[in-house]
Amino acid sequence: MHVDPAILERTGAIAGGLIVGIVAIYALYKDWATPGVENHVFKLMLLLLGIGAVLAILAGAGVLGNFPTA
Amino acid sequence: MAVASVTHAGAGEPPADRLYAETRELRLQGFLLFLISDCVLFSSFIFAYLYLRNSGQGWPPPGIKHLDVAFAAWNSVLLFGSGATMHYALENWKHGNFIKYMWMLIFTIILGAGFLGGQGYEYTHLIFGEHVSWWGSGIFGASFFTLTGMHGFHVFVGVCYLTVLLMQSAAGVYTGEKYFGITAGTLYWHFVDVIWVVLFSIFYLI
Repeated sequence: MHVDPAILERTGAIAGGLIVGIVAIYALYKDWATPGVENHVFKLMLLLLGIGAVLAILAGAGVLGNFPTA
Repeated sequence: MAVASVTHAGAGEPPADRLYAETRELRLQGFLLFLISDCVLFSSFIFAYLYLRNSGQGWPPPGIKHLDVAFAAWNSVLLFGSGATMHYALENWKHGNFIKYMWMLIFTIILGAGFLGGQGYEYTHLIFGEHVSWWGSGIFGASFFTLTGMHGFHVFVGVCYLTVLLMQSAAGVYTGEKYFGITAGTLYWHFVDVIWVVLFSIFYLI
């Protein structure tokens, strides 16, 4: 059975992005009240990580992307 | 196995430990300044790319037929996943779960190395398949290989650093209160992740 590699990549991007996004937002939620400079930086970076995961999901789903598929 | 020994900052402890506790904030600020300077370095290249990209040749650029967005999305997820595992490595260290910390660190290194492998595959495909090169493909080639190469080098340095962290942790270098190296490694790895969010967006999405 031949499976198109692009389908696997897209599925992996969506599934992986969902997992990473949920983990990042959960970690952000848990750390929300922690004080200190380093924790504030971690929170900012977790938020950006969550945004990155959403972008990966949208790219995997074909919603975003500036090049046509091969 | 719990974190081996815990050093409490106090009057009776060795001077070196007291100095460590007293200068922790200073080292954190120094490391954050390093990250900010690295951010400025990337920003200068990113803004130069965006300026040149919008100066007339159109997008996608002439001669560039295809950039594999699906593969890049999958590869990005590897790097973003490593950011999540590194975050939980630090959390497990703070809570004294040494074994979980070690596993999370190992996963982070594997995912980081996987991202580098993916980038190597993409470079090979672009150079030999699409005939896109650093020096002969105009603004796109020069910007793409410079920025992603610079980022890839940061990831490579990060993987080496995390490997050293792994060996140091196994050797008992860090304790329950003396673990700035792990904090710095986590900050650096998150930084590398966040830079990729920007690069992924500007090269593949917008």
